[in-house]
This record gives sequence, C-alpha cells and structure tokens, in this order.
Amino acid sequence: MKKQLPVLVILITGLLILTACNKGSNKDDPGKLNLYFTHLADGSTLEFDTLKYLNAAGNPYLVSEIQYFISDVTVYRDDGTAFLLDSGEDIHYVDTDLPDTWNYALPDDIEPGTYDSISFTFGINEEKNKSQLFVNPPESNMFWPELLNGGYHYMKLNGKWKSAGDTIRPFNFHMGIGQVYDTLTGVITDFVQNYFRVSLPASGFTIEPGKTVSFEVRMDVQQWFENPHVYDLNYWGGKMMQNQAALQTAKENGHNVFSVQKLLLE
Amino acid sequence: MSNDKRQKPVHPLLPPLAGGFILLAGLMLLFTTCQKHGPVDNVPAPTPYRIEIPYGFPTKLNIPVDNPMTVEGIELGRYLFYDGRLSGRTHPDSLMTCASCHRQERSFEAGVDHPDFPGGFPHGITGKPTHHVMLPMINLVWNQNGYGWSGFLYPDNPSEYFRNIEDFVRLAVEAPDEISGDTTRTRDLIQSIPGYPELFKKAFGSDKVTFRNIEKAIAQFVRTLISANSKFDKYMRGEVQLNQSELNGYVLFTTEEGADCFHCHGGFGNPLFTTHLFYNNGKDTVFTDPMDRFQVTGDPADHGAYKVTTLRNIELQGPYMHDGRFATLEEVIDLYSHNLKQSPYVSPLMHHVNDGGIQLTAGEKQDLLSFIKTLRDDDFLTNPAFAKPQSFPDEK
Repeated sequence: MKKQLPVLVILITGLLILTACNKGSNKDDPGKLNLYFTHLADGSTLEFDTLKYLNAAGNPYLVSEIQYFISDVTVYRDDGTAFLLDSGEDIHYVDTDLPDTWNYALPDDIEPGTYDSISFTFGINEEKNKSQLFVNPPESNMFWPELLNGGYHYMKLNGKWKSAGDTIRPFNFHMGIGQVYDTLTGVITDFVQNYFRVSLPASGFTIEPGKTVSFEVRMDVQQWFENPHVYDLNYWGGKMMQNQAALQTAKENGHNVFSVQKLLLE
Repeated sequence: MSNDKRQKPVHPLLPPLAGGFILLAGLMLLFTTCQKHGPVDNVPAPTPYRIEIPYGFPTKLNIPVDNPMTVEGIELGRYLFYDGRLSGRTHPDSLMTCASCHRQERSFEAGVDHPDFPGGFPHGITGKPTHHVMLPMINLVWNQNGYGWSGFLYPDNPSEYFRNIEDFVRLAVEAPDEISGDTTRTRDLIQSIPGYPELFKKAFGSDKVTFRNIEKAIAQFVRTLISANSKFDKYMRGEVQLNQSELNGYVLFTTEEGADCFHCHGGFGNPLFTTHLFYNNGKDTVFTDPMDRFQVTGDPADHGAYKVTTLRNIELQGPYMHDGRFATLEEVIDLYSHNLKQSPYVSPLMHHVNDGGIQLTAGEKQDLLSFIKTLRDDDFLTNPAFAKPQSFPDEK
C-alpha cells in the first residue's frame, strides 16, 4: 500500500479535478431503470435440488432450475401516461443457472419525475414471439416447437415432487403458446397466446436527473401453485405444454408471482 | 515517501507516473531491439477465414481470441490432423494421429466398424482403452458449454491448459490411452519434416515450430468441420419435404406428449441438435464414474450427468452413451422408450422416468428413427476440404 501512495494521490487528484470540472447533472438529464431478478420460496432465497418445499396442494417438491422471459417493461406516470421501455433490449432472459442473466439494465432513457408503477409481459407477446428470433444459446434453447406454433417457451420451471405413494416424479412447468385440439381427430385447430401482463405492486419510484433506480424483482415460486388456483401436481401431472387447461391455470396464478423491493443503489 | 527506488522519479522535474512511463517505454524499446524472433520480416499476414453461418445457426462462435481462424492455419491443421507423425514417432507401426480414430466417413468418430477398434472402442498405442467412447466432432465451433463428456475443458477454466479444443490436442498426444506421445518429440519431429516449417511460417509468422502452434492449427481445422446440409436442414430451408414417416417422427421428437427429445436435442429452433448441457438421462442407478459431470462441478445433482450429444449424423456414430453400451440407435430408442431407471440424480426433463420411458409403439420407434436419419449429412461425410490431403508437405 505504501508503495502505491504517490500513484494513488495522483489518481485521486485527477478524479477531484475531473469532478470539479463536471457541471453536474442537468435537471432534464434522463435516468435509467435496473431490474435484478431473485427467486424465493417461503419468504427465503430458493434452495435448488432440495426437497424441502410444500406447495398449497400439499405436494412436497424441489426446484432444479427456472428459465424465463420477461418483456416490454412499461413505467407509468401518476397522470396515467405509459412509457414502454423497448428501445433496446425489449426481451430479457433470466436463468437461475446463469448469474449474468439475473440483472436487466434497461438501456432506455427515462425522464426525471415520479412514476406510479412498473409492469412487464411475462413471456413474449404474439407479435414478437416468432421462431428464429434468438439463434444463440441460452435463449435459443427455449424454443417452442414449430408444431405448437413456434416461438419460445415463456418459462421452464423444472423440478420434482413427491406424489402419492411417496414416489418422486419429475415435473416440467413449461409455459408457452397453448393449443386447441379437435376432440375427435386430435388435430390442432387453434392456438392460444398465454403471455400475460404483470403489474408489480408497490413499484412507484422517482427518477432523479442522471440517476439509476434499481429494483429487486422477486419471483415467489410458491405462488405458481397457489393463488388464485391451487395447482396440484398429483392432478395435473408433470407436464403441461400440450394441456391448455393447465397452462391457463398457471397463467392466472402468474399474476401474483412477482413483487419488488427497491434497492438502495445508484 | 517510500524508500523504494522504483518510486523515485528518473528526473527531478518529472512526476512519478511520467518517470515510470518513460522507463517502461525504454524497456519496451530495448526489448524490441534485442528480440531475435519477433515478427518475421517479409512474411505476409495469414488470410483471415470467416465461417459462414448456416441458416438458423448461432452467430456466436467459440474461437479463442489468441487463435483467430486463417486459411493458412486451417491448411496446416488439416495436414497435422491426418499426419501420423503427430505422435512424434516415425516407425510405420507406431504412427498415430487424430484421424487414426476420427474418421470422416464415420462423421469423425471411430464407428462400430473401425478396423483397429472393434465395436468402435478406441484404445491408445499401448492398447489401453479410452475411459469413454468418442463424442461427435461436428459443429464444435458453436459449443460454448465445455468440451468432453464432462465438459472439463471450458473457456473460463481457471487452468489455462484446460479450456478449449487446443488443449484437447495436447491431451490426446500425451494420453497413454490415445497417442501416448511427448509434445517435445512431436514438436521436434514436425520441425524436422521438410515443408512443415514453411507452413508454420505462413500460418503463424515463424518457421520455428511450437507445440502451441500445432494445437492452434489443428483446432482451427476442427472448427471448420461444419454439418449444415442434412435432409432436415433442407427441410428447414424449404427445399425438400420430409416423407410421412419422417414427419411422424418429427412430431414425436418435438412434442412433450410424444418422445420429447427436443428439450435436450434441439430441433428447428436449435439446429445444433444439442444444448451442449449435461444431464443424467436415467440409464443407471449407481454412479461411480470418476469422470462424470459431478467431477467438474461438485454439484451432487450432477452425478451420472454427461454431455448431451448432437444427433447430427448420429446413425454413423455408434457405439452410444459415454460408455458405448449401445451399438445401435434402436437400442438407444428402447432405452428412452422402456428401460429408464429412477434415481435421485435423474434430470427432471426425463419426465417419463417413472413409467420406464415414453412407451413408443414399434411403428412410432420406426418413425422416430426415420426422422433421426434425416440428420445425416452426406456432404459433410464426403467434403474434400475435410478429407486426408493427397500428400503431406514433404511429399510434394
């Protein structure tokens, strides 16, 4: 440390000069929004591959990984004006195995002022959810089969549960575009867009000129199985991609899965 | 003020940083002037080689920054890939190189019909068998998740000697169950063969052969081994139609209620036909292999987990699984259909495991096989750019 002192002094002096020359933020300088995704169960950080959770249906379960898209983040002024933040990365991939994906620094400029709330799309909307949108992994590994209308999974939540008879069974809680099947022929006659908007409760914030506001966005895994519908894995089984009733149930539960906590960071 | 002389200005009027800069510049100048083996004069820079991205393929390539692809590097790598003197030996019975096991006509695996390795189980020059059977050597330039069945070679490995295809070359040359050679002997032998030093000069700017440059050249060649013209690729591009059995198989392959292969093995949205991730696929209940994924990650969930292999040209790449337990694709399909085993480590993606498998009928198995065979790429198997050169540098 002693040897570094003269260099340190020069660096600090330089920084002071630079800071002194900075005229400071203009009152019209835009700010930024940053979202950091975390995953919880029972109010604590989710522990993976441990059969320690009990869902609302009474199914003991574990989670191995969660991979999902959120898109079209929108912020709302107190006068109801909406600002869609889609000038840059409008679709963000989160993967519990890949720390680089946990932070979503929105590149959009946000006018200084007070905002009431934040919302986003869980999954990808119909207009954007097209095959070959992502050619690089890990996003490309989320592709949804062409036969099921193509595009991408909204989410893969993979785990295991203890079913009746204490048998451990895998489940793939995979959300995406649903299908309508002809009951006689089994042929697909239509598709169902299952993406939905999530309005984050208590997500008001103030953007100060040139500043970034950061939120921790928390996914409570228990909520996928709980509210408003109790999702019983013994009833629905371990798969859902070709079961619109299961997808619809998951979709309706998804509105209460996320919450936010403002982070005291710049 | 420190007593350390390195902190003292070289001139009383200069601040410490400026003094340091001048000293550094001076040393650099001295180093450059005295260097005997710097960039060689009058050697044209090698010609950059650009990989054309096939339709639907990833645009991100796994090419180390210190080994950019060049036409000259690839040409040299092709010679070395096929030259048995890569072993560092010259006796005809002791020659061994990459191509001794990696045969183009078997999609750069040994294949079950290999004349020297019955059943497709390779062994080294000493007769010692390899710990695992071979992995497909196809489209590796798009692998971002580690090489080898356990993924033990990965780009951000703290050990710089276990990161990429380049390191596989060294490991293959040294391993007793492979070439069983010595990198110094290999380097010296290649240096002594007329024609090679000139090729190194063209590729790397110096006719002094180094083993690192041998690794780099072979890795460059391997990165050109791209398969993207199978019947399924043509179907993706709208050039051909699949027959009914193939289409039935495609439906099975890409549906959760069908065979559900696509989550690990790709499809239209992932034409690599692998995620390059690692899973325990439910073929065992006891896991004692010291070279599974667990040995890399230390994560108990990775016991018995191995690299998902690409299915491109898979019909030519038996035997199957890390230990080569299945000689035919029919046996593999039977595993996933009826013979899966439950264990605490089986991947959740194996959601049929409690039923023993996906319970395909005989007709469905045939359809699935028909589809998988659409991934055969004969252009890849016969591409002259991947083949053994007509002659080696000293034979010209």
